[in-house]
Amino acid sequence: MGSDGDDSQPGPHGVEIERRRVTVGYVPLADCAPLAVAQRLGFFQSEGLEVSLSAEPSWANIRDKIQLGQLDAAQMLAPMPLAASLGIDGRATPMLTALTLNLNGNGITVAHPLYERMQALAPGSLAQSPVSAEALAAVIADRRARAEPPLRLATVYPFSTHAYQLRYWLSAASIDPDRDVCLRVVPPPLMATHLRAGWIDGYCVGEPWNSAAVVGGDGRTLITSHELWANGQEKVLGVTAAWAERHPNTHRALIRALLSACQWLDQSANRAAVARILSEGAYVDVSASVLERSLTGAFAYAPGEPVTQVDDLLVFHRYAANFPWRSHTLWYASQMARWGHLPAGVDLSAAVQQAVRPDLFREAAAEVGLLCPDEDMKLEGEHDAPWSLETAGGVIAMGPDRFFDGTRFDPWQPHEYLARLPVSSARASAG
Amino acid sequence: MAVRVLIVDAKPARSQRLESALREAGFDVLMTVDETDDLSARMEAQEPDAVIVDADLPSRDTLENLGQLGRRYPKPVIMLAENEVPDMARDAARAGVSAYVVDGVAPSVIRSLVDVAIGHFQAHHQLRNELKRTQQTLAERKAVDRAKCLLMERHGVGEEAAYGRLRKIAMDRRLSLSAVARELLDDGR
Repeated sequence: MGSDGDDSQPGPHGVEIERRRVTVGYVPLADCAPLAVAQRLGFFQSEGLEVSLSAEPSWANIRDKIQLGQLDAAQMLAPMPLAASLGIDGRATPMLTALTLNLNGNGITVAHPLYERMQALAPGSLAQSPVSAEALAAVIADRRARAEPPLRLATVYPFSTHAYQLRYWLSAASIDPDRDVCLRVVPPPLMATHLRAGWIDGYCVGEPWNSAAVVGGDGRTLITSHELWANGQEKVLGVTAAWAERHPNTHRALIRALLSACQWLDQSANRAAVARILSEGAYVDVSASVLERSLTGAFAYAPGEPVTQVDDLLVFHRYAANFPWRSHTLWYASQMARWGHLPAGVDLSAAVQQAVRPDLFREAAAEVGLLCPDEDMKLEGEHDAPWSLETAGGVIAMGPDRFFDGTRFDPWQPHEYLARLPVSSARASAG
Repeated sequence: MAVRVLIVDAKPARSQRLESALREAGFDVLMTVDETDDLSARMEAQEPDAVIVDADLPSRDTLENLGQLGRRYPKPVIMLAENEVPDMARDAARAGVSAYVVDGVAPSVIRSLVDVAIGHFQAHHQLRNELKRTQQTLAERKAVDRAKCLLMERHGVGEEAAYGRLRKIAMDRRLSLSAVARELLDDGR
């Protein structure tokens, strides 16, 4: 990261960019594509920015470097800016996001021996689509009866979309994720190895690591996050609130550049090229053929099974994907409250209001003439099929937003929602 | 009682030296694990007071999760409340090392633990850079020698004349001797 010195220059939108040279961190996953594409195709450059991308091996590195000022901005898991602002992830540091980088992209995969046992105990529930965790509940009950140790399931970070999606899926089948299974964290590139070694029985991870496990014959995917929560928020662009305040124009320029990249990425003809950019440009250390499956949505649930075309496996732009819906993050916040991950007495809505900034997004979007939702929140779980969102400027084509169990999340009433949830560990902290 | 440390590192040469330095400084080093190991299981079995981890390894996130689980697991130093921590965390991050420590370890002890680790990670970087430089110098010298032989054969001149020719080209074109040598060798292929 350069010094703040004589870095400022007028950008293409006529306003002065406070900081031309910025360092942006990312984790090598299929959904780092917006950052890689913005760099490779010159979208950062057209906004007057000189961006160096910094590949970070862990989310903890991203958090530390942002909190210590060694990165200007970074790709983050959707709950991270909120968790950091509340002081439960690292030092209490007000952070915010004004841009969602993608929707969907995760999946829950299990080892073959576990799948066989699920099939033996509850074949009917595995035939349903989307697959529920009922067969897993049957295995857990059976293991308990035989005094076997609890199943070990992995996610990628304590405050991750993956952790809350997995917990949600388990608890819908009355599995208590804190008591009935052992939840661990394993870095994505090591997931398949751990599964093969028998150190874990299953995991929830982002692409390309479900596809890679299926292609490598190491596991079987039960459900994608798109089936679990259609078009749920995944990665965001995070900065500290202090940085955003000091560099408002640089921030908007970053958002504009990434919006262009996301727009380009959602033209389906470009997806195969992205796989090559990520692989050959060494952004992600996985073969282009596996990355192409993730990015084009040619998804196989099990080794040897035919490929299912899942167009929305990864969504980068359509359905107003980049708009940072407060209702998206508030759903994660409700899950954090549900599992006792929030300090007592936190006002969920107020915390999300500070950490998620659709107002800043609208400013950047207006500069590139992009249509925006008028509201900051929407009912989640309301639409089973594509729908139209009316705005003052016109209509936005939206994708479904259903949860696999058919529940609805009313972001204006998060506490009523919390009270209705079947399993929860710490109602008291939902305050 | 001595603070019991676990090291997560995939570079055996460095971690061996770090182990002995930590022992000399009064720490009890339990073991070193690398990326091919089941870190969660090791942590549960060993219950270390502190962990030193190469910040280039993705395994940090496994430790983050354990740190959230309760008091018996070490937490990242960046979370400690002391004022000097940001500096310590910054120095550590620059050196590419991360530390995790359980509640109740004295700040001065944490400081010395992190300092020993930073010192070793920096020394390792320097050693690696020096090695790279030495190898580069050797390669350059070899290229110049071979280019000299090529000129001697091609123009039927002695060693000194060949060397003079090489130097003149380098000076005329404002290139280094080794760059000219490599060019000549590439052309001659």
